[in-house]
Amino acid sequence: MDKTRKIDFATIGLRDALDLAVLIEEEAKERYEEFADSMEKHHTPAAAKFFRFMRGIEELHEAKLKGQRSELFGDARRVVTREMIYDIEAPETGEPRTHMTARAALEIALGAETKARAFFEQAIERVKDSSVGSLFEELRDEEIEHQELVRKMIAKLPPEDAGDIRDYEDPPVTL
Amino acid sequence: MKEPTVLPTYQAKDFKSELKPIWCPGCGDFGVLQAIYRALAAVGRAPHEIAFVSGIGCSSRIPGYTTAYGFNSVHGRALPIAQGIKLANPDLLVLVAGGDGDGFSIGGGHVPHAIRRNIDLTYIVMDNQIYGLTKGQLSPTSPKGLHTVTSDLGSLEEPVNPLLYTLAYGAGFVAQGTPADMAGLADIIEEAIRYPGFSLVNVQSPCVTFGEDDNQVKAHRAAMKPLSSIGHDPTNRIAAMDLAQQYGKALHTGVFFKNPSPPPTYDALVRERQRSLAEKAVPRERLLDMFVQK
Repeated sequence: MDKTRKIDFATIGLRDALDLAVLIEEEAKERYEEFADSMEKHHTPAAAKFFRFMRGIEELHEAKLKGQRSELFGDARRVVTREMIYDIEAPETGEPRTHMTARAALEIALGAETKARAFFEQAIERVKDSSVGSLFEELRDEEIEHQELVRKMIAKLPPEDAGDIRDYEDPPVTL
Repeated sequence: MKEPTVLPTYQAKDFKSELKPIWCPGCGDFGVLQAIYRALAAVGRAPHEIAFVSGIGCSSRIPGYTTAYGFNSVHGRALPIAQGIKLANPDLLVLVAGGDGDGFSIGGGHVPHAIRRNIDLTYIVMDNQIYGLTKGQLSPTSPKGLHTVTSDLGSLEEPVNPLLYTLAYGAGFVAQGTPADMAGLADIIEEAIRYPGFSLVNVQSPCVTFGEDDNQVKAHRAAMKPLSSIGHDPTNRIAAMDLAQQYGKALHTGVFFKNPSPPPTYDALVRERQRSLAEKAVPRERLLDMFVQK
């Protein structure tokens, strides 16, 4: 659980667990948005489109969890902060590349879903509150569904052009 | 979960500006920036109480991506400008960012002087061992033998060792991190900011476009050795220098050296001198008397 700080899974309650889940989705949403913006700027539209799609998915999850939190706990003070989590479902900042293919972008998302699933599996082993356990199981199952969804999307992709990425690099510039 | 009595005043997002980074996708600097946001949130100073100065290079764009005051200055001159800012406005938290070329080649002459003056600055160097912005030339920290556009047959030069260099000049705080360990890097930057005096954080921040394959984030994750895991005592400068000699061979992360008894900073000494001189100063209404013979 080196992806969190100051969170004790043995004592965490449902409100904090929901807040944690919201922040995990928020972090992933922002990271995909950053990737999509970056890909657009660097002329990599297929990957940008997919990252933008993933951003939308994460936003939907975030909204759903926020709704649950609001329904159960109203405006109760939030004590879990973004500074307590590190790249749980967000893909790693070092992953994307200019001119990456759609397949490579999907593989980044698959990696992110896989590590999120691993995170919830580890968390489930530690939590003692049954309602938190159920929430984390639900979230883990969603990650499994997402993994399957991304795998299916990868399978549908046409075979890749085996071109060399260096073909796309800008030529040297002289003044 | 235990309720904290005081919630943090600022969050990482409070330090994120509207400007979107234009670094190459996958650049190590994205992770460094995230770590800086988190460190600043942990320190808890308001954005308007922070000045971020940089030189020229990919990493020198960082001030623009924060909500702090920023000055993307002249190549290699971030440290003199930051020193001036700190002396003129000692209450500002002053951070400096730049690359290895900016810091150890073009601006290399400024580093020892910033250290010996011990002005309270935090210098974050994004060391990628290459000039990335100008398309992959040999930089001061490039390893010997590296093939670049300016060393087609392999570099013949030994690299500058930023850790050993700054430790030898007497820096009170020297650390190294990597964006492969964002939590660790955020902690290091926070500790450097809190250190009262000159502090250096050398970040191994990979260049995805011109950097070597074995020097990317994934490789760092596999290779990094936290100093805490080998029982290093960060109050021992000699032990730190010994470990620093492995720069380029092993990727040690964490605090190499932190002076347990920090000497007064230059800015504190200047303030003290101003106070003592003010006591002896001739009152304004008697200034002309100094030029009139009695």
